Amino acid sequence: MIEAPKLFPPRRTILASAASAFLGLAHGHANVDFVHSVVPILKEHCGDCHSGEESKGGFSINTRELFLNDDTAVPGDADASYFIELILEKDPDFMMPPEKKERVPSEHLAVLKQWVNEGMKWEPGFTFGVPAYEPPFAPRRPELPTATEGRDHPIDRILDHYLTENDLPRPSPTNDSTFLRRVSLDLTGLLPSAEETRTFLVDQSPDKRAQKIDELLDRIPAYTEHWLTFWNDLLRNDYDGTGFITKGRTQISGWLYDSLKVNKPFDQMVTELIAPPNASSAGFINGIKWRGTVSAGQTLPIQFSQSLSQSFLGINMKCASCHDSFIDRWTLAEAYNLAAIYSDDPIELHRCDKPTGEIAKAAWLFPEIGQIDASAPKQKRLEQLAALMTHPENGRVPRTIVNRLWGQLMGHGIVHPLDAMQTEPWNEDLLDWLAVDFRDNGYDLKHTLRTIANSQAYQSAASTHANESDEFTYDGPLPKRLTAEQIVDAIWQVTDSAPTAYDAPVARGSVDPTLAEKLSFPSSWVWGPSVDNGGVPANGEKILLRREFKPSKPILAAGIVAAADNAFVLYLNNRQILDGVNWTNLEAAPLTNQVRPGANQLLMVAENRGAKPNAAGAFAAIRIKYKDGSDEIIVTDEQWQVTDTVPNGNRPGRWQLDELEWETARLLPNTPWKNQTDARIGPTLANASAGVHLRVRASLLKADDLMRTLGRPNRDQIVTSRPNELTTLEAVDLSTSEDLMHHLRSGAEKLTSREELSTPLLVEEIYLLTLNRLPSDGENKLLVQSLGKSPSVDQVTDLLWAITMTPEFLFNR
Amino acid sequence: MNFEIDPNAPELIVRRDFLKKLGAASTAAMMSGAPQLVRGKDIEHPEAKADACILLWLAGGMAAPETFDPKRYTPFEKGISVDSVLSTFPAIDTVVDDIKICAGLENIASVMDRGTLIRSAVQPDLGSILHSRHQYHWHTGYVPPQTVACPHLGSWMARVLGPNNNVIPAFINVGQRLEGVGEKEELKAFTTAGFFGNEYGPMNLPFPEQAAQSVRPPEGMTSERFTNRDKLFRNLVDQSPHRDYASDFQQESMMRSMDNAHRLLSSREREAFDLELEPKEAREIYDTGRFGRGCLLARRLVEKGARFVEVTTEYVPFLHWDTHAEGHNTIDRLHKEIDRPIAQLILDLEERGMLDRTLVIIASEFSRDALIEGRPGSEANDQATHKVDVITEEKHYGLHRHFTGGTSVAMFGGGVKKGHLYGKTADDRPLVAVENPITVTDLHATIMTAMGVSPKTEFSVEGRPFYVTEDGKGKAVMDIFA
Repeated sequence: MIEAPKLFPPRRTILASAASAFLGLAHGHANVDFVHSVVPILKEHCGDCHSGEESKGGFSINTRELFLNDDTAVPGDADASYFIELILEKDPDFMMPPEKKERVPSEHLAVLKQWVNEGMKWEPGFTFGVPAYEPPFAPRRPELPTATEGRDHPIDRILDHYLTENDLPRPSPTNDSTFLRRVSLDLTGLLPSAEETRTFLVDQSPDKRAQKIDELLDRIPAYTEHWLTFWNDLLRNDYDGTGFITKGRTQISGWLYDSLKVNKPFDQMVTELIAPPNASSAGFINGIKWRGTVSAGQTLPIQFSQSLSQSFLGINMKCASCHDSFIDRWTLAEAYNLAAIYSDDPIELHRCDKPTGEIAKAAWLFPEIGQIDASAPKQKRLEQLAALMTHPENGRVPRTIVNRLWGQLMGHGIVHPLDAMQTEPWNEDLLDWLAVDFRDNGYDLKHTLRTIANSQAYQSAASTHANESDEFTYDGPLPKRLTAEQIVDAIWQVTDSAPTAYDAPVARGSVDPTLAEKLSFPSSWVWGPSVDNGGVPANGEKILLRREFKPSKPILAAGIVAAADNAFVLYLNNRQILDGVNWTNLEAAPLTNQVRPGANQLLMVAENRGAKPNAAGAFAAIRIKYKDGSDEIIVTDEQWQVTDTVPNGNRPGRWQLDELEWETARLLPNTPWKNQTDARIGPTLANASAGVHLRVRASLLKADDLMRTLGRPNRDQIVTSRPNELTTLEAVDLSTSEDLMHHLRSGAEKLTSREELSTPLLVEEIYLLTLNRLPSDGENKLLVQSLGKSPSVDQVTDLLWAITMTPEFLFNR
Repeated sequence: MNFEIDPNAPELIVRRDFLKKLGAASTAAMMSGAPQLVRGKDIEHPEAKADACILLWLAGGMAAPETFDPKRYTPFEKGISVDSVLSTFPAIDTVVDDIKICAGLENIASVMDRGTLIRSAVQPDLGSILHSRHQYHWHTGYVPPQTVACPHLGSWMARVLGPNNNVIPAFINVGQRLEGVGEKEELKAFTTAGFFGNEYGPMNLPFPEQAAQSVRPPEGMTSERFTNRDKLFRNLVDQSPHRDYASDFQQESMMRSMDNAHRLLSSREREAFDLELEPKEAREIYDTGRFGRGCLLARRLVEKGARFVEVTTEYVPFLHWDTHAEGHNTIDRLHKEIDRPIAQLILDLEERGMLDRTLVIIASEFSRDALIEGRPGSEANDQATHKVDVITEEKHYGLHRHFTGGTSVAMFGGGVKKGHLYGKTADDRPLVAVENPITVTDLHATIMTAMGVSPKTEFSVEGRPFYVTEDGKGKAVMDIFA
């Protein structure tokens, strides 16, 4: 009903009645909550005429300032506040709300009076007004500005224009080594290898950057396992977490991994997540079912409403699922209607956990392109929703995802925060162009990543002004702290050490199951003479094992797996190739380039640890695949020799091996370790010898202490951004972690065992490995001097630590 | 009075000023989404009564009638009915005339004149009474699940108050393993700074006797090598051409963290983590097990400036205080584990003149009863392992059900009344709080008030105001303060 315009009535004095004094006390001592108690009352009784664009009688409650105009309200004194008087007014000509409207119930009035008496607390930034910005829903194809200086990439045309308009300098182009490190970390999460860096730096081809981008996107496992982290965060997927204990939650890991592997179009991913064709992608909409009762704002249908809105639409439906949102335009009814699409049963709206009597009707948020048929069965409703989400005229979903991709690569969203897509972008054309281009190219995620990475904008020097306390102005990509997974992967990469077992239930790489089966066999474990006559090896006992072998035919490929209780180091032809400290981990390495024609020598130092004598054993297996298709497998057995005299150091080339007393290795009858290792021998050996040695990635593991400390979220909620700083506790952990030290030491051992590396070459190698650049003269001088002619393992370990703690290493810039 | 901002927490100030500069609209935009974009608000904080807080957590549901709220004692006898059992320990006198507690807690009885005993804490049932959910509720003030990751009580203190001594992490969590135990994911869900970010998260020390290792250079590294390593690190940072490429803000924040870490690892204060440095006699008094050693560690840490230390008997489903069978015998053992160290902790703090400014809390997620699960009339699942009416074996003798209607909380020091009793439970079953019931929310408000933090303290996360007590509604029980 439309009210006839009515002037805001003139001021009159009303005596406070006994009733109002009583009502003032109704809420007792607790301070009134503006957001949850006051806002709904003001909206209900005053909002129609005095908020948004309406200001009947010249009065608006949009902001606190407006509300206070002319003493309409007097903070701290309800009795002196004119609007309270008007609510109490009995005269139909003056009363508020107007006569034809419902009276304000006494309990509501009591809340308002208490609110005024307590000073009219207002949520900063809150307004009843129309939001200053409402993002467009439809896709929009902006006209591209003219290219300047031959910079004709659409992104550069838009941004060059932006820079000119804003009188900002154009960021300078970045150099090759910075580009290579940045693009490798951004697209695959990994550092380029030292070799790859060298090759790239000397490459003279003009399109080498574009080629590198293509090459990185084509590295299937590396790309997949890097982006898995982003999607796990976005879709709240993990391998462990709350809810799994009672099967109240299922993973989508296998589906997600396979989708990324084949670069499944995003619209198809969204469809399969929202209307799952089978159980493998159902975990996203099914949320987390907790045991016991949960609040109305966390039921499964409401979780559906919240997750879907946040992940794909950049809408915060969390507020609106408790009460009409006061940060944007979403209402309680919209949150529940969205939930009703998923719900098996009719659901009643609950405001702040209290039932309202209203029943939700399945509907989605942008009816301009179509609506859900609320009477359709659930699966149909979900399919309808999926179709609307991926509708070609739906601009919101593409904008939301391209903004996230931009944020991943450029360090800051075009709309920021990434989950707040109601916010105005700092460059509308850029966002809209990327979104339309993404849709036009079949929702191809790699296409958009490639497009961004090929722009001059992406390839410019990093902004140096990154500071939370500035309003955002684009002046180049922002440096990003490596994520927990990137740090862990980088350490494993630099030190060439990583676990071989992982937690994600996914099929990695391309293990040929027939080959894996063929290469499966029971492990055989050996030790030295201390096990004779039922003896138990002393703690701290070390043994040295050796075996010579000669490939009988031309080699096609080779690989090795090994494990020991408790620790081992393996050398092939005097070069360290593998080590381990955890017998449950089967360590592996490809050997194709290391095995040579003629005699090869394997050496294995194994060590028994612990507080007292205990069982010890060592196991290794090499597979050699010959060019004629035949296989040879060499395992630890009685053909190996053993000695308990282990020379010092890690350069077997200097050991006088023939002067040691060798005996036949003892094959152990009891091998308690095999339950942990045997099932993995076949697949691991198949991979290792296929030359596709897939180092395990941190994204495939459950979060451990270190990763959690470094900011990997618990994934009980959707958390789409990672910390950009290093906290004190993280620094303490990185300074004391034994595990980190073990990895660094293992890396240092490998580096120092390489006889060809003189100190300057060693320094160069380490800089290429870690920072992907050559050391400066100053760095070179400092390090060559302090390391001396023949650096110890300790020295190199500490250098690796120091370099991996520098901001340069920990940032992707 | 205006809350004095800790000089160690400049961020709060910076952000506050910064917010004032921004227009309202852009503030709202900024606040929606990123969890790190939280802010302190201008709020009247009460005057702090305590500078540090030690929470002694008896995980698994400490039966009040077996500890701090003795009821009619029924000794074990074959054939007694379960409903005749209220307490399996007799009451003993304490130094305070009108307070009796259970036999087995003689040492605590001797220090009851230093604190206030609350007997009327109550909890919701949450449908099915689950330890980890109730622990989440108790530790964060919010019932899980929540749409944002809620910060732990200790993280609130770390965030709002900062460390007492910036060498010592503000929030230290002693005694709880987070790997290799049941419900570990549920434990991790609240053992976190949540949306505050890891800067305010717990330093976890599951084994107090190994605490020193967490603040020591890695095994086998001499202090000389440790110092050289740090020098090398600094030299490399100085030499790096990267210095010119990254923002000062990011570099400095990272270097500050590295500095803090190095300062802790090379400070004298780190000795606080090393129990071996405690005189042997003192160590022996505390050494009743991991919990006892944890109490000693807490004392040493608070002496050196820790803000919040939690020491737990450790939650492991069906172990320790989570008695689903053998209740009496288990509690008998647990009395021995907690009695001497807790009393000694109080005495040590007092002797050092620190008790007045240190709030020590003994608490648990709920109580237990021999017969009633939840509260009278609750629809909660009965989770008793042995459902018997008549006790025929010793394993049946104990309080094996989860009870949420009346739980004891003891508080010492930190401005609370001395020798004071607050609240009361019924003398006969159901043993519900019949006087002054205190909810988890109000208990939180009381604790935060003692620490000088307004229960209405709020931060904005994803555009939503988020309060230290549920929806800012917690009301401190001022009666317990002197």
